[in-house]
Amino acid sequence: MKVLELFNVHKVYNTTHVEVHAVNDVCLEFEEGEFAAIVGPSGSGKTTLLNMIGGLDMPTEGRILVNSTDLSTLKSSAIIDFRMRNIGFVFQSYNLIPVLTAKENIEFIMNLQKWPRKKRDKRTMELLKAVGLEDRVDSRPAQLSGGQQQRVAVARALASKPRFVLADEPTANLDTKSTENLLDIMEKLNREENITFIFSTHDARVVKKARRVITLEDGKVVSDEIRE
Amino acid sequence: MITKTAWKNVWRNKIRSLVVIASVTVGIFAGVFAVGVMNGAVDQRVDEVLDNEVSHIQITHPDFRSNNDLACNLENVSTLKERISGLEKVEAVCDRLFVVGMANTARKSVGVNIIGINPEEEKEIFGLYKELEPGTGDYFADPDREELSYIGFDLAKTLNIIRYQVNDEIIEELRSEELPEDILAGISEFTGERFDNERSFKKAMRSVLTAKQESEYGRLILEKAQTFRERAKFTLTFVNSNNHQTGGVFRVGGIYNIPNSMFESNQVFIQDRILRRLIEFPENTAHQIVIRLTDVDDTRTMTKKLRSDFPELEVLNWKQIQPDMAMMSDFAGVMYGFFMVIILAALAFGIVNTMLMVVLERTKELGMLTAIGMNKKKVFRMIMTESVFLSLTGGVAGMVVSWIIIKVTSARGINFGSMQEGLEAMGFSSYIYPDIGIDFFMIVTILIIITGILSSVYPALKALKLDPAEALRTE
Ligand SMILES: Nc1ncnc2c1ncn2[C@@H]1O[C@H](COP(=O)(O)OP(=O)(O)OP(=O)(O)O)[C@@H](O)[C@H]1O
Ligand SMILES: [Mg+2]
Repeated sequence: MKVLELFNVHKVYNTTHVEVHAVNDVCLEFEEGEFAAIVGPSGSGKTTLLNMIGGLDMPTEGRILVNSTDLSTLKSSAIIDFRMRNIGFVFQSYNLIPVLTAKENIEFIMNLQKWPRKKRDKRTMELLKAVGLEDRVDSRPAQLSGGQQQRVAVARALASKPRFVLADEPTANLDTKSTENLLDIMEKLNREENITFIFSTHDARVVKKARRVITLEDGKVVSDEIRE
Repeated sequence: MITKTAWKNVWRNKIRSLVVIASVTVGIFAGVFAVGVMNGAVDQRVDEVLDNEVSHIQITHPDFRSNNDLACNLENVSTLKERISGLEKVEAVCDRLFVVGMANTARKSVGVNIIGINPEEEKEIFGLYKELEPGTGDYFADPDREELSYIGFDLAKTLNIIRYQVNDEIIEELRSEELPEDILAGISEFTGERFDNERSFKKAMRSVLTAKQESEYGRLILEKAQTFRERAKFTLTFVNSNNHQTGGVFRVGGIYNIPNSMFESNQVFIQDRILRRLIEFPENTAHQIVIRLTDVDDTRTMTKKLRSDFPELEVLNWKQIQPDMAMMSDFAGVMYGFFMVIILAALAFGIVNTMLMVVLERTKELGMLTAIGMNKKKVFRMIMTESVFLSLTGGVAGMVVSWIIIKVTSARGINFGSMQEGLEAMGFSSYIYPDIGIDFFMIVTILIIITGILSSVYPALKALKLDPAEALRTE
């Protein structure tokens, strides 16, 4: 089943001096359960592409279907709601709410969706266990290492049981050990819960783990290899 | 969750938040306390009007007030009084006679309002008998002595019934009040001398004290040096109902001291029996019937009722007799609210500024929140809640502080001695007992919440305008 389809997607930034063609005529399809890496040099358009897939940004041309829904036909409030239910985000710089504990950060989204307390607590503990942080429930981000924070971020991204998770350079700020650990967790969730992961990266070790590697250059897809 | 996060966000930048909260605390304290003082003064003045000067409702001949003519009097007063005191909600009724005349001593003569009262009845209506200056007599305990009168402190001063002198005893008293020795030495120079009036005594003081010493201790010395000629004689002269000049010799049977210097300097009370005889009025007549109700809040309805019961007479309540007072007490609440709104408007600028900084600082976080699915309404609510917490924390602190200080000062009163003359000329006491109702705190709380909400609107709109993709790219 296709979770994501991109048809001739373009993104052009109009700066005062020059036009930047950040994403140039990209056509891609993703099946449910993929574990895909988007690679490419800095400035090749990885972040821009992920933002458009997540509905944070709109393409200047082309169509993107998420679970068969064309995001450009939705109102901005509907997009936010759609994101909350269907897409999980993980960012390079973790982006946790600093005043909340690990548990509260994960619960935040479920709270916005008004989950009942019991269900919420169960899911939160499940996720904390899945990312190996069940003993850091009440730690604040500042009391966690970068790797631990990023694992909380992954748990948060999965809180509302989205169809897929978009991660923009999730390991860029992590050391080797944390990187491996995080990828193991992502892989396990991918295998066990059949969650689609699409992540961008610079890191060859991360690329190695991906089952599909899409390479961007100057906004164009230059290669798309699937390996088993 | 949004509320909890907003509260925690308040403390992210502790110092900045504390500065804003402190400014709100100080502003609210200043405002509430000032209102407490104003309200205390107004309440005292209203009580003063009700207890000593006007009471609740007055009935007169329809032309009495405008003509001030002796002949515009009421008849069958005892029947009238009986009918009125039989009414529900009426606590007490008394009647009075009024004549305009002159009060004279050997050297002074001033225009006064002479009021003929029945001391026993009067005590049921007015509290003026409680304002007796100690040591000046006991007018209300001596209702049989017709030559006695009850006059105001200011009038007594004008008529030179109050005099000033310094003796060793007074010097000792002043010493126990810890006056510096050089001042005591200075004023003891005129021991034994008698000063007929305040002006000459002050002049003498000025010759031995510096201006600073005088402003600091002058009032105290003046008070201690006051002496009173007991049962001092003076005459009252006026025109009777047959247009004949008449009058009598009276003695001061007591001096009352109230904040209203106007009232004090021209209202002279004597027995109605003697005044009736002097103006040659028959029995059972009076110029005014004064009614005290069991509850002042019934004034309006009772005024209406009395008007329909006595259409041929003029029935006025205290608000109609003292419209300035009525306005003050009716609009005081609005005025206080307005006062608080101005203070809060000034504080709002500080809150707006802080919240703008908050939005700027958290650009990236706000982008993240939108990315993970927090909608605009909730973002708006979170920022608004944080702003309300900022204002409310300061506001509650300010209200608690002012409540405590009002409680403390209302027990002892605040002495505005330096402004005494001005205040008393307007009828206000220089001792003010701050007081404010719990409902005012509720209104202020609501105003504070509104301030918090309004202050957050602009910053929150700024936050909503953020493009999440852009916001996430910021460092
Ligand atoms: N808001 C913007 N306005 C103008 N140009 C932009 C904007 N955002 C991105 N770009 C440009 O678009 C191009 C693609 O940027 P993007 O951030 O997608 O690259 P990236 O592959 O994620 O790079 P990196 O690996 O450094 O994160 C770059 O040339 C960038 O300068
Ligand atoms: Mg990037």
